[in-house]
Amino acid sequence: MNEKNLESLVNEYIKEVKKALPDWLKDKKEHKEILAELETHIWEKANELSDSGQANEESIRMAIAHMGTPKSIAREYKRRGTPKVYITKELWPLYLNVLVIVFAIIIILNVIGLILNIVSGTTTDLGELLGGLIGGVQSGLFVAFAIVSIIFVALSMEGYFPEDFKSKKELDKKALRVEMGLPPKPFIKPVGEIIGGGIGLVVGVLFIFQPFPAGLFIAEFLLLLRIFGIFMIIASSFDITRGIIGNRQPLTHQIIHLIKIILKFGVIPFLIILLNRPDIFPWFSTPWIHVGIPPEFHVAYRSGMIVLVVIIALTSIDEIYKIWKLQKYK
Amino acid sequence: MIKRIKGFDPEFLDYASKFESEINRGISGLCILSIINRYENEGVHGYQISKDLQDQTKEILIIEEGTLYPILRKLEDDGIIRSEREKTGRKRKFYFITANGIKVYNYLSGFFSKLTEAIAPLFDVNVNLKRERYLYCPNCANKIDLTTLELRYCDVCGHNIENEVKERGFKK
Repeated sequence: MNEKNLESLVNEYIKEVKKALPDWLKDKKEHKEILAELETHIWEKANELSDSGQANEESIRMAIAHMGTPKSIAREYKRRGTPKVYITKELWPLYLNVLVIVFAIIIILNVIGLILNIVSGTTTDLGELLGGLIGGVQSGLFVAFAIVSIIFVALSMEGYFPEDFKSKKELDKKALRVEMGLPPKPFIKPVGEIIGGGIGLVVGVLFIFQPFPAGLFIAEFLLLLRIFGIFMIIASSFDITRGIIGNRQPLTHQIIHLIKIILKFGVIPFLIILLNRPDIFPWFSTPWIHVGIPPEFHVAYRSGMIVLVVIIALTSIDEIYKIWKLQKYK
Repeated sequence: MIKRIKGFDPEFLDYASKFESEINRGISGLCILSIINRYENEGVHGYQISKDLQDQTKEILIIEEGTLYPILRKLEDDGIIRSEREKTGRKRKFYFITANGIKVYNYLSGFFSKLTEAIAPLFDVNVNLKRERYLYCPNCANKIDLTTLELRYCDVCGHNIENEVKERGFKK
């Protein structure tokens, strides 16, 4: 057997090992190093096993036999988590976080569906609406739980760790911060929160005290404006509080995000009232303010309001993401 | 060992082989660490480790050589060893034990030594712990080299070892 054939014998084995390696390892550059190391090992062993000190077909086959099967090598790479039920201890917190996020998204989507149902008036029976909501949430949670659990059991069996889902750049950055003794990346920009909160506070105060000329707006609209003002003041005060606390007390930040979700859902019923009363909404046209949307614009007005309601509900997902992200800083 | 037997009761072989693998698993990691510890300054490459493992254990502790590398990778990830690539020649990867690795190794080595001594009567064998050279911390079994006499406390559990050292006549 010539040298080329001997090389292909080794390469074939290395190719088999490469195929068997877990995917998380194949994604990393180091898998080339691993294969190169195995190859060097085989050649050294084969040289030693041969009488002439130069590898031959028989010594290479023996060296490969000593290496073990590609499957057993791959199994050793996969054996890295500590078992916790069927999901490893290392993946467990990520599993719980993913479950919470998926559950929250399902609940929010179902609530949005309920709102759309109420707004469009397709169903008016309250029992039917609530039944639909509970049924939707229940089946959604069940399916999501099953899918997420199956995925995480499979990831555990493959030996995945949470850091395998992060980019190399992200991991390097984190390692550099640790090396330099720096605290973890700040999770909020305090000045931004205070400025944003301040603007919200001013607008909220404006809505409550309404320094507008008398008789410009209808009383019902002004009442709704006052309610929106209260919501804005509460939310903005929390933003300012977060800015003052700064990058400390992650639990407090999480609680504030939770309260903001409640506030966001609290404001939705009032927006729905406004949605159904285009006759009280002021619309702007030069040179004067008119009160009440003209009937020909009702569809456009309602659509605009529905989009606003959906956006507010969807921003709750961002709050949930922030709660999840803060978990890492505890 | 069991893999050398061919054509015997397959059910027994299967059971014994699994049991043997379980026993070998933890021990081989410790033995690999012991070999890397011996090459503390110059470092050692994978092939040499597998060769030493066979020679030093008189070919009793046999691991599939390919599975050595995942074990080395795990030890490296855990900060127990580090690696450096040769700058010239075959550019092999050389492994070195880290300061933390030495501490872990001393503790595990002490624990394993005490364990083998303790279980020896069950198998009707004798184990000599070389007490003239090492002190096994009475509190945590950490293996302490008595040639490093400046030590007053066990570096794992903080137990005061001065009395033990004095009793052995190493310190006045």
